[in-house]
Amino acid sequence: MTATTATPQGKVLLEMKDIGKSFPDVKALQGVSLSVREGEVLALLGENGAGKSTLIKILSGAYTKDEGEIFFEGQPVTIRSPQDAQDLGISTIYQESNLAKDLTVAENIFLGRLPAKGLLVDWETVRKKSREILDRLGATISVDAIVSTLSVAEQQLVEISKSLNRKTRILIMDEPSAVLGESDLERLFQVVRSLQAEGIGIIYISHRMREIFELADEVTVLKDGRFVGTRRVADVTMDELVRLIIGRDLEDVFPRREVVPGEVLLEVKNLRRARLVHDVSFQLRAGEILGFAGITGSGRTEVVRAIFGADAHGGEMRISGKPYRASSPTEAIRRGIALVNEDRKAHGLFLKLDVTVNTTIAALKGLCRAGFIQRAKEKALVQKLIQDLRIKTPGASSIVLNMSGGNQQKVIISRWLAIDTRILIMDEPTRGIDVGSKSEIYQIMNELTKRGVGIIMISSELPEVLGMSDRILVMREGTIVGELARADASEEAIMKRAVGGDLAQGAAARA
Amino acid sequence: MTAAPTAAAPRHSRIIDLLRGAPILGPVAALILACIFFATQTDRFLSGANFSLILQQVMVVGTLAIGQELVILTGGIDLSNGMIMALSSVLTTGLIANSGVHPFLAVVLGLAVCVAFGVLNGWLTTAIGLPPFIVTLGTFNIAYALVRIYTTATITSVPDSLLFFGNTFSIGSTEITYGSILMLVLFAIAWLVLGSTRAGRSVYAVGDNPEAARLAGIRTSRVLVGVYAMAALSYGIAGLLLVARTGVGDPQAGQTGNLDSITAVVLGGTSLLGGRGQIMGALVGALIVGVFRNGLQLMGVGSIYQVLITGILVILAVSVDYLSHRAK
Repeated sequence: MTATTATPQGKVLLEMKDIGKSFPDVKALQGVSLSVREGEVLALLGENGAGKSTLIKILSGAYTKDEGEIFFEGQPVTIRSPQDAQDLGISTIYQESNLAKDLTVAENIFLGRLPAKGLLVDWETVRKKSREILDRLGATISVDAIVSTLSVAEQQLVEISKSLNRKTRILIMDEPSAVLGESDLERLFQVVRSLQAEGIGIIYISHRMREIFELADEVTVLKDGRFVGTRRVADVTMDELVRLIIGRDLEDVFPRREVVPGEVLLEVKNLRRARLVHDVSFQLRAGEILGFAGITGSGRTEVVRAIFGADAHGGEMRISGKPYRASSPTEAIRRGIALVNEDRKAHGLFLKLDVTVNTTIAALKGLCRAGFIQRAKEKALVQKLIQDLRIKTPGASSIVLNMSGGNQQKVIISRWLAIDTRILIMDEPTRGIDVGSKSEIYQIMNELTKRGVGIIMISSELPEVLGMSDRILVMREGTIVGELARADASEEAIMKRAVGGDLAQGAAARA
Repeated sequence: MTAAPTAAAPRHSRIIDLLRGAPILGPVAALILACIFFATQTDRFLSGANFSLILQQVMVVGTLAIGQELVILTGGIDLSNGMIMALSSVLTTGLIANSGVHPFLAVVLGLAVCVAFGVLNGWLTTAIGLPPFIVTLGTFNIAYALVRIYTTATITSVPDSLLFFGNTFSIGSTEITYGSILMLVLFAIAWLVLGSTRAGRSVYAVGDNPEAARLAGIRTSRVLVGVYAMAALSYGIAGLLLVARTGVGDPQAGQTGNLDSITAVVLGGTSLLGGRGQIMGALVGALIVGVFRNGLQLMGVGSIYQVLITGILVILAVSVDYLSHRAK
């Protein structure tokens, strides 16, 4: 693990100063600055929701900034559209591929800019130049291959070639490693280094610490839309970096956990899902909050969806000692399991329907008499839940589309409190929710555990994991790589397990 | 990352608020305005007998629209409904006239075949995951072919028992067709089921967000198959009403049933995207078309212009709906 030796000498290509961006109900960015030199790799770091995407979108012309200035080679510039960004030589490689999958590699590299010879396309030039670009990257793929037949890593190379075929001075790479396996990583690193050698400035986003230390010259850290700081990678330890990313002191938003976990509620043995989850085993006790930590893509969501019967899986499960086969969500709910999804809009809410329907959809069986819903009983139940959870809404017949994220989340939780839920699974329970509602949701979780409900909480926010969990399981690449009791847990301890053991050693050596 | 925040709600008019809160108010207002308009244009419009006639004229398409409404609420569409109706009417009358089957048994068999078609529609949509448009386009043709294979001749010897719903009874001096009462009763049943039962709630939930419905414990495939089957039952009943109204089993019938019923559903304020709309809207929609046809006829406007105006109405109605929702 040698940190790059380049010294900060290249001339500054791009500078962003005090960038601010607001959306109607969120201040997404405030006072964010960064600069990139020729041939430098700048890593942009921050938790989910820290504002990295917004910043990139401003640079690539998808959003326009509200405040601040952008300088390119010292000259102030305005970027109002993707075309502006391209004219400056700013290219972006997104996580999602933007290739035309049914066309060849060469056609993609020249997409929208095919050279003509008379009336016809000059295919000879297209193929020759594509070959040259691919060779520059050390890529051996054929220029005539159809893109859809290539591996994800190869497609990424085509994407990079495509941007190199335009004038590119700055290349933004949004989590390029997220889609790659371990074996493809080294090649990606080589490509980044060769671009670097050509004098291209690179903004590199990744959650994986190892890559940062391997590739980056400087890191700029964002948190909650604000600028935290910029450091030379050579001058910083991983522990410091993790602290910068996680940032603030724990505010007093977490309730005191006083529940003593009771008997085993849920037992999971050798849970498997093809390529995603390998032999996951654990137990959940009554009244316990079991935290699942890990980076995005580590398999946490896949585990809980399997337990909830949402996806096919293998393995054995027991609820209170009795065998449980998670054949469908219907069966899971019948056995007292509930899932609050990570993406509440796509997988939880009926946005065009009202609070009542959203709340009682799983509880109707108990509300019916002779096949008909007893309106009075339903209304009373919904009113009680609105009060108990302090859901702010004009009324039970309001459409949930227009509610705030926090209130929408409470509606989903109320759905599971309307029935006899004994095992509540919450996937990122406070994502995109303001601090006030967050604290209220923590209170609700605390109350539920007092009643003997067992809670599995997936969270990418370490303060939340630490503040709420009685026990923490850390996942990496589809398996559980560590279990931490509340007393032994720290952000560093979790992060080291979440990103990999070799890194932990490396960082220790560094420190 | 930073969740793209929804645009802040700009101020918009109370009328739009009201329309969105109760999407059926718009169609009802349109219906009343149409009635007022025609009442001022011709004095033959405003009479019990004429209203009874309008009801009788819309009873077939109205009954078709019940099934179409159910399907559209789930986010689907049913192009096969007119042909399933034709199959019911031809099969039932044919079994009686050609094969000597007891009328009661013939009705049950006819309806059973319709329900089987509905189950097929639902199964293809859920098990194979084909788009409802394609599935029902296919079954439209299949049902059409089956009708023509069964008979190309109009079946004219229909027993009296099948004509019952074409008969009338009097309230005061107004003659009312039993069939239009049956249609209203069917609407009432559908309204009750959609609004006050688990099954009804599931229809809306599946239409709004099928994945969320599945993750809320709803067996979405069962709901969809059930919806297509019940819809087909309503088409079968529409077929019987058609026989009662015309007195024959007509193999040429029902070819525009899909578009006519979609027109009624859309005029009634139901979103083609699913999850939003009211069953009574389909009744109002069918009545709007009926009132326009009837009123224009009384004014002596040619029938092709009635079609022209129906087309304009549909585009107007959906424009109002879209604009009121875009003003979010």
